Amino acid sequence: MSNTIPTDEVHQRIGVLTRQLHDSLAGLGLADKVKTWAGELPDAKSRLSYIARLTGEAAEKVLNNVDQAKLHHDHIASETRRIGALIVKDPVAAVAKGHVMNFINDVEQATQEIDKNLTDIMMAQDFHDLTGQVIAKVVTLAANIEEQLVQLLLITAPGDAVVKTAASDELKGESVNVIDEPVLQGPVVSPEGNPDVVKSQSEVDDLLASLGF
Amino acid sequence: MASELKFLVVDDFSTMRRIVRNLLKEIGYTEADEAEDGVAALNKLRNSSFDFVVSDINMPNMNGFQLLQEIKKDDKLKHLPVLMVTAEARKEDIVMAAQQGAAGYIVKPFTKSTLEDKVNLILTKLGLK
Repeated sequence: MSNTIPTDEVHQRIGVLTRQLHDSLAGLGLADKVKTWAGELPDAKSRLSYIARLTGEAAEKVLNNVDQAKLHHDHIASETRRIGALIVKDPVAAVAKGHVMNFINDVEQATQEIDKNLTDIMMAQDFHDLTGQVIAKVVTLAANIEEQLVQLLLITAPGDAVVKTAASDELKGESVNVIDEPVLQGPVVSPEGNPDVVKSQSEVDDLLASLGF
Repeated sequence: MASELKFLVVDDFSTMRRIVRNLLKEIGYTEADEAEDGVAALNKLRNSSFDFVVSDINMPNMNGFQLLQEIKKDDKLKHLPVLMVTAEARKEDIVMAAQQGAAGYIVKPFTKSTLEDKVNLILTKLGLK
């Protein structure tokens, strides 16, 4: 005997559930919140894309700089061996023919390049600050949605149902921590087409100059 | 000498504090301390001598705007130049920082040369360089 439910009946049941959910949300005054979540979820998506982009760029920048630094390092290592052999063979000639001086210049140039690589590797770590701020916002959104859904579950669940979540424990203890949206916005994940934000340091400088700074 | 000036770097992310301190060292300013938010920064500013503050804005406990206000209303601290280094890119935040007395504003992510230019410009304006 088959347990398959006819498609029409599935659609009808989904429709009934949807209506019940809609009525419950409206009755609890959560309809507006759901609309807000719907608006915030695409924002969360773009924030997560921003994190993926920044971390990817940082990883690439670090690896490229390590590659370059290793090339300079290998060059210095092989030159050191070569100049060492020349000095052992004929120290006077090594100096007189300029091999030693050329080597010193090589080392100086390579260390400058390696220093630049190291600075760039350090700067690449700024993604931690920027993504950390964005992650905090996404976590806040998720926590808000969870809190409201648990509230809905607690109110609408049958009397004998057990709802056990961290958020429900807080609700039962009447110590709900309302997570306020920070007033500050943090990194702008998609500045395109937004006239209220600057897109580069030069725009900051222009704005400050227009104010007399 | 400008290189002997003492900086206070304020940011809630330790990574960023290290980056800014290392950059300051690279551009010739070796004296620097750090604080993780505005409250810790104010404590350090009131208990030690500093010449320059580099501060984030979005921080817990006391944000960069609040720190800036506290510095500017304190007779012993109000002379200090405060350079904001922040991810806040809204024009209204930049204008607010300027109106509250910030000496400069850098948007993250930034480069070493941007930090160097802004610090040197501020020090030159103040006659400290």
